[in-house]
Amino acid sequence: MFTIRWFLFFLGFLSLNAAARTLPVGETAEYPKIRLAIADAEAGDTIRIQAGTYCESGLVVDKPLTLIGESGAILDGEGKEILVIMANEVTVEGLTFCRVATSHIEDRAAIRVKNVRDFLIRDNELVDTYFGVYLEHAKKGIVRGNRIVGEPTNEANTGNGIHAWYCEHLLVDDNYVKGHRDGIYFEFVDSSRITRNVSEGQLRYGLHFMFSNYDSYEDNTFRDNGAGVAVMFSKFIDMINNRFADNWGGSSYGLLLKEINDAEIQGNEFVHNTIGIHVEGGNRLRYLHNTFRQNGWALKISGGCMYNRVIANNFISNTFDLSQAGRGADNEYVGNYWSEYSGYDLDRDGVGDVPFRPIKLFSYVVDQTPEAMVMLRSLFVDLINLAEKVSPVLTPANVQDPQPQMEPLPIGGEEFAIMEQ
Amino acid sequence: MLVLPLLALLAACQPSPRPINYGEDACHFCRMTVVDQQHAAQAVTDKGKVFVFDAAECLVNYRLAHPKQEYAYLLVNDYQQPGVLMPAKESSFLISEAIPSPMGANLSAFESQEKAQQVQAAKGGEIYQWDALPNALHP
Repeated sequence: MFTIRWFLFFLGFLSLNAAARTLPVGETAEYPKIRLAIADAEAGDTIRIQAGTYCESGLVVDKPLTLIGESGAILDGEGKEILVIMANEVTVEGLTFCRVATSHIEDRAAIRVKNVRDFLIRDNELVDTYFGVYLEHAKKGIVRGNRIVGEPTNEANTGNGIHAWYCEHLLVDDNYVKGHRDGIYFEFVDSSRITRNVSEGQLRYGLHFMFSNYDSYEDNTFRDNGAGVAVMFSKFIDMINNRFADNWGGSSYGLLLKEINDAEIQGNEFVHNTIGIHVEGGNRLRYLHNTFRQNGWALKISGGCMYNRVIANNFISNTFDLSQAGRGADNEYVGNYWSEYSGYDLDRDGVGDVPFRPIKLFSYVVDQTPEAMVMLRSLFVDLINLAEKVSPVLTPANVQDPQPQMEPLPIGGEEFAIMEQ
Repeated sequence: MLVLPLLALLAACQPSPRPINYGEDACHFCRMTVVDQQHAAQAVTDKGKVFVFDAAECLVNYRLAHPKQEYAYLLVNDYQQPGVLMPAKESSFLISEAIPSPMGANLSAFESQEKAQQVQAAKGGEIYQWDALPNALHP
């Protein structure tokens, strides 16, 4: 029964394929305009766009088509929205989109995908488009290998590179996004993956989650953004093997976690950020095998964070390894490497014999009075830190790592993730 | 000569709004960086402390969380004039699915009831006055 059904399906597929045509678009080709080719095409056809600049905006794809751009095929929006996909099973590949203007009234995009499923947007180049790819109420689609570069004339008025709103089962893979408000923005997006992207030079965030659940992002690089990544009001987000670098500024951070629950933060690298991770209202989060290197604060935990586990991470050369508001009795720190640790290991098992307490007194002072930061390198501060270390009065005594590692953990690579099992 | 610095000192004590640094300021309520010039908001307390918000809904929620605080100014961005702040109590608000706002409430402010109605006619939604917003956002 099952095989017959498959056979029929396959037969149907073949017959569909046999009927499909390829419609050439070009100055000297059968169709001089893309619009004409779309109007003439039938479901399953391919439109092949030859090199040249096409000043066409408001193109609506309302049937299952494949649009392929040959090298040098440019769609110029002349300020307006260029392509709107309103049919299932549409592929857009190899095209260059440019010139979509900023607007206060509408969120114009180079490619808009609206109320459809099974789309593929691959290997396109988007230059100076207000919003790049705008997905609304879209399902089961792939956005892969695109290069989306904004040229913001007025920095505060840029759109998002890849913007998804009320979507599910998306895959955003291997894109390069630069010069937007948020590189990738997810609002009400569930069960989706973001992998292998590079997001840099965004005005606000490299990647931004709002009200989105059951998503993951892996192997991405976020550098030089207003702030790296913000995960807000979301549940069950996995953050794995990403790199957060060079997010400097008064209130900047590599990763902001605000009102989120049940997240897995594993194998990431936080380098040169004012704050590595800033958490406000995060419950049941697990930090595993991350490396924090040369940040102002590695981990800054504000009020209302319960049942968090910080296990086997590297804290190397950060000004402050940890700042935590409240007593934090429910948070657990075990088996991390702290480069500040000055204890000993007499039994040579690689684990320090005295616990490490990662909160310095001075970080406490700075939390209350940020201006006190100018005192950071003074002898006085060294003295009060030492005094507090010897007999803790102000810093919570129960925030400690009972098993501080003597050597940095060999973190990175998949073998470590397997070891955990 | 002595009076001048004294006057300056007095002026400094007067609570007053300040321009929002878009892309720099973080929302006092939700921590998000403020970039949207059509939806940001600001509160100035009677003591002169300035709080910036990325969205009018954050200002509403902040007020609900701090009911005893007194304010000299409550300001919201005019949706139709990006970057312009106006008194929240004199503005009209539109909650419309067609105009998303930064914190998901779809809330925008307009200079007048007529302007809000014009946009409502095009985009749909419900119009509210400032005092009705807490109930509209938390039904």
